[in-house]
Amino acid sequence: MTAKDPQRLRRIVVAFVLMLGFAGVLCRLFTLQVLQAAELTVRADRQHRKTVTVEGGRGGIYDRQGKVLAINMDVPSVFGVPTSLENPSGVARDLARVLHVRADEIERKLRQERSFVWIARKLDPEQGRSLESLSLEGIGTVMEGRRFYPKGPLLAHVLGFAGMDGQGLEGIERRYESYLHGEKQLVVLQRDALGRTVFPKGLNEQAPSAGHNVTLTIDEVIQYIAEKELDEAVATTRAKGGVAVVMEPRTGAILALAISPKFDPNAVRAVSPDRWRNRALTDAYEPGSTMKVFIAAAALEEKVMEPGTLIHGENGQMTVAGTVIHDHEKSGWITFSQVIQKSSNIGAAKTAMALGEERVYRYIRAFGFGEKSEIDLPGEAAGLVKEPKNWGRRSLASMAIGQEIGVTALQLVTAVSAVANGGWLMKPYVVSDVRDGKGQVAAQNNPQVRRRPISAETAKTLTGILEGVVTNGTGAKAAVPGYRVAGKTGTAQKIDPQTGAYSSTLFVGSFTGFVPAENPRLAIVVIIDEPHAEAWGGVIAAPVFRRIAEQALPYLGVSSQAPVKLALAMVGDPTP
Amino acid sequence: MKTVVFAAVMAVLLLYVWERVDIVRVGYHVERLKSKKVALQRERDELRVKVSALTAPERIARAATEQLGMMPPRQGQVVLVRVEPTAPADAGPPMPELRLAKSEVGGRMP
Repeated sequence: MTAKDPQRLRRIVVAFVLMLGFAGVLCRLFTLQVLQAAELTVRADRQHRKTVTVEGGRGGIYDRQGKVLAINMDVPSVFGVPTSLENPSGVARDLARVLHVRADEIERKLRQERSFVWIARKLDPEQGRSLESLSLEGIGTVMEGRRFYPKGPLLAHVLGFAGMDGQGLEGIERRYESYLHGEKQLVVLQRDALGRTVFPKGLNEQAPSAGHNVTLTIDEVIQYIAEKELDEAVATTRAKGGVAVVMEPRTGAILALAISPKFDPNAVRAVSPDRWRNRALTDAYEPGSTMKVFIAAAALEEKVMEPGTLIHGENGQMTVAGTVIHDHEKSGWITFSQVIQKSSNIGAAKTAMALGEERVYRYIRAFGFGEKSEIDLPGEAAGLVKEPKNWGRRSLASMAIGQEIGVTALQLVTAVSAVANGGWLMKPYVVSDVRDGKGQVAAQNNPQVRRRPISAETAKTLTGILEGVVTNGTGAKAAVPGYRVAGKTGTAQKIDPQTGAYSSTLFVGSFTGFVPAENPRLAIVVIIDEPHAEAWGGVIAAPVFRRIAEQALPYLGVSSQAPVKLALAMVGDPTP
Repeated sequence: MKTVVFAAVMAVLLLYVWERVDIVRVGYHVERLKSKKVALQRERDELRVKVSALTAPERIARAATEQLGMMPPRQGQVVLVRVEPTAPADAGPPMPELRLAKSEVGGRMP
């Protein structure tokens, strides 16, 4: 053997070992890349990719001035991973301090044999920050959208509320759900070995679009005024509840809709679901004397009566179909105007009888009673208007004084608006427009005429009579200094649920009217349900009408007098 | 010649590797900026809720009446003033209607 031989052998051995190594690598590569390719690709994808559902934020709700009434905000929800916890009781104690819940309750959750458990959902942002500073092991937070109603109970019955998963359950939130909810989208995220999100290559990433924003016809300030005055009246009369609706007579737009008692949409579970009902449109009641307005409208339109027509008051007592109709005030011959102004039941019954069943029914229906007004809010009731074939012998007289008929507060304010605006029955609405994130209009409500129950001339004559109700009739307390008010009081007995007959203790006091009479800007209905002590609409509801009107009119810039004219001398050219 | 070709190939390869690395780096930066944007949006929403709650009419009315001693204007205290310019008609557009709140009953206001 030569001296070179051992070197050559070594080279061969080294080369062989290296070749063997490379062959091993190639084999492994072949196994991984070819034989197990499909299975491993799936496993890698599972580790690198994460599919999450991303939802665009729910749209906001704004008043007519653009003030926020409902808005979404991302807030932390806290969860635990019980299987990775070493000291559940210590963690529970720390959490309890921040979350203000009992430590043993949290500990019970953390001791479960599960890998995921919710501890608290949708916390306040402050609590989330406190939790982050604790940085507890085995406890994590995720952000979830929560609905906030920053004004608290203001307008709660119209706004409604959204559930824990962000779906609208009542009011506007429910009716406009299809516009308000954000778009849902499945997004695939790429993650690195540390679980951080990697910017996706070649993916045309687009965030899901947020829900549309809804603008209401409601004015936050008028709403506040209506709620404040209604609540005060309900409290002082110790009534069961109350409703006040303010409408713009020319358009049918609702400016305020107040229900008492209120609830806070941020904490709906704190009250019974009965409280959530928007009773201005879900509950029908017997209106009592406010119905005389529409009987009078029919009589004037049909030329059955004129303001000066004399009617005998039967000295306060008249028998109809074997039952006696009483008047609050005994009278002999009085004019038709006085029948309305003094709210004579006998005069109204005689007027209805002069009109006859068919015409009374036709006009009551023409003013929108007995049918839904189609307002853009859920749960509206049609009320109850019987067809003449189902009327009894007393029905005609009863209807004239607002008995045997069920109407909602919304129907009443819409009908009185028709008198205010010259005879047009408008479709009431609370949403003026719906816009997408870029401000483009997606839906819009414009004033819509439903029909015309009376002529402008009749409306004008009737307005004059209704002004008399306030100047020298039962509605004196509705008078707003400096403005001409037209309206009508109503005091209705309720049916006693136990006896099935009219109760002598349960009443509904109401006032419905509009102001200024010569150019109406506001139509208002106020209903006080089951007040204690005093029950007359003219005493309990009329002052609420006055207080709402006297604050809302200056706010709207409606002058109580003719504008003062000032002549200003222009000095020089105002433009630079 | 060989060296030049080798250097060129290596340069291209290095450029390719540098580019890939930079894409990843920028990707992380984009992700960081995105989470910052989300955090700022959350802060904006939180502030919006706060502003809205603080401007609630009930709170404003309470602060005005209880802390500042204000009261709703009485009849006659709000006067609408229509301003009519005496300058010639072609001097410019007509002046808009001005609304002035004026205290006519001095001494009654606190």
